[in-house]
Amino acid sequence: MSRLFVQSDWVTPMVVALSLGVLISLFNPAFLSTFNIQVLLEAVSINVLIALSQMVIIAIGQMNLSVGALGGLAAVIFAGLMEVFGIPPILAGAMALSVGLVGGLLNGLLIGLTGISAFVITLATLSIFKGLNLAITQAQPFYEIPDSVKLFGNSTLFGPFPVIFIPAALVVVLLVVFFNRLPVGRWLLAVGGNAHSAELSGISTTKTVVIAHAISGLLAACAGILLVARLQLGQPTIGDDWLLMSFAAPIIGGAILAGGHVSTVATVFGVLIVAQITQALVLFNIDPFVVQIVLGLMILTAVTANQWRELRMKHAGQE
Amino acid sequence: MSLVSSDARKPVRGLDVKRLLLTNEFGLLLLIVVFGTLFYSVSSGFLSSFNLNSMSRAAAINVMIGFSMMAVIATGGLSLAVGAIGVCSAMMCGWLLQEIALPWPLALVAAIATGALLGVINGMIEVKTRLHSFIVTLATMSLFFGIMIFLTQAQTYRGIPASFVSFGRMKVMGFSATLGPTLMVAAALIVLYNFTRVGKEMLAAGAKPQAAMLSGVRVGRMIVLAHALSGGLAAIAALLLVARNGAAIPSMAGQQGQDWLLVAFLGPVLGGAVLTGGKISVVGAFLGAVLVTVLSNGLLLMQIGDFWLQATLGAVLLLAVLLDLARRKFLERRAQ
Repeated sequence: MSRLFVQSDWVTPMVVALSLGVLISLFNPAFLSTFNIQVLLEAVSINVLIALSQMVIIAIGQMNLSVGALGGLAAVIFAGLMEVFGIPPILAGAMALSVGLVGGLLNGLLIGLTGISAFVITLATLSIFKGLNLAITQAQPFYEIPDSVKLFGNSTLFGPFPVIFIPAALVVVLLVVFFNRLPVGRWLLAVGGNAHSAELSGISTTKTVVIAHAISGLLAACAGILLVARLQLGQPTIGDDWLLMSFAAPIIGGAILAGGHVSTVATVFGVLIVAQITQALVLFNIDPFVVQIVLGLMILTAVTANQWRELRMKHAGQE
Repeated sequence: MSLVSSDARKPVRGLDVKRLLLTNEFGLLLLIVVFGTLFYSVSSGFLSSFNLNSMSRAAAINVMIGFSMMAVIATGGLSLAVGAIGVCSAMMCGWLLQEIALPWPLALVAAIATGALLGVINGMIEVKTRLHSFIVTLATMSLFFGIMIFLTQAQTYRGIPASFVSFGRMKVMGFSATLGPTLMVAAALIVLYNFTRVGKEMLAAGAKPQAAMLSGVRVGRMIVLAHALSGGLAAIAALLLVARNGAAIPSMAGQQGQDWLLVAFLGPVLGGAVLTGGKISVVGAFLGAVLVTVLSNGLLLMQIGDFWLQATLGAVLLLAVLLDLARRKFLERRAQ
């Protein structure tokens, strides 16, 4: 049993997420109301995409500071294309996704080809993306969102299930297949685990880095688009507060920051834990700024626990 | 001593003009002059006494923010929390002045001590848990900022004594008086990194931790010290900002202090600091931050728009690291 807890990534976060849910609903039964579950799932749907966008980069042992800026840029482009040029939502969505893809490719190419640290490159592109966002919007939101998009972002299926849950779930399934079944997914983990030996076994590090950043950009853009649909407006501030969230969930899900070890399912439970705590603080009328404090503490606890677990796994391997 | 070799920049001799011209610092100086001339030719208001004053005031703050990051880069770390620490210290200063009515010199000292203490917390966590400074400071950034907002209820402290505010507005020979503390700190840092044992040990700990440890440097202690220094410098930067604004405002560095991040890295990176640690340049970081200030100010004067500025600065950072890479490749090839 203890072996199961130590070795599989998703068991501990799942147990924590479920017991947290039980605990909160014991104190406040309103937590399990249809409306509350709907709000929770809406937050989870978008935050899963943000977290996975970062997780893909953590997998190759890097970090992406520009997740929020790129997601925000895609969001305002999506809203702007619909409001200013009257482009149909599907086409505008596709164009916003391609902005995410191009932004991610830019990150990946700059990092992969030059070998400069991902931190500096994505810090620079963060400012570029955010600057473009502000230059396009002049810091004013786009309000004219088509009704079909608003409906998409705010309707539910079978009771509390938001429609935006579907794309998020689809992405999760695709990423599970990607990391576990596809060679290219294994490349990412191999490069993250040990770039040198990956290179020696014939994997192109540059290509892998570019692919990872392209996926990350695509997911960030996807999150931005869904957020526009849910908020019913294209706010220039979208993405400003994603950074902490994007790291918290993968880390709670046991991702190792040095790379090579991530779990998509565990990250989803990580998002669920964060969303439940945020929700509980609202339900109990606690200062929303406490969320930041709790998130910070959770990151520290989770990374320390991950490190301890990694050590145990190493010891177990030696025996 | 073997430690000295890690301090890569050897002093340039007076006659060695060619080497002087090849340094990063000279390149920055040249760029400052070129851009200054360019902006002056486009808009003569660029060198007006009003603009010189406001530009030097901005430079004083930007340089300090850059120094704050440089202190941790020296040991091979980085700190996302510089902005959060700065704002926390400034709010501490504001609270002491307004609510406790402490004399302002005491409040300043207390604020700088707060910054250093928060830095020590970062350093201790990093050393004890052996986690990368990125993740530690990502967490503490939100911790510090969240606790500060919780305690202050996000209020602004306006009870800043007139003498302190007038210092922020004072002019000396056309330049802002706030450059004074910045220049003093720069001089102190030059002495620290070039002439003191502890400064050299910090750089050694950043360059090759293993080797430094074997030659008797207490690497853990150096990392804590570097974070403490960074925290103190971030506090000074924030205090200069308080003197300029005449109030301690929780949002003065944006969401969780993240607005400082770009400026904090721009100065040292333009100045030739190596992010893996062990090599920094105080003069370079100073000139780098001045160049950033000149660029920001000039672009604003040309009415390029507040919003394009951020994109431009991001592009400058990108260009700087790419140029640095090209330069190193070129030097390597020539060495072969």
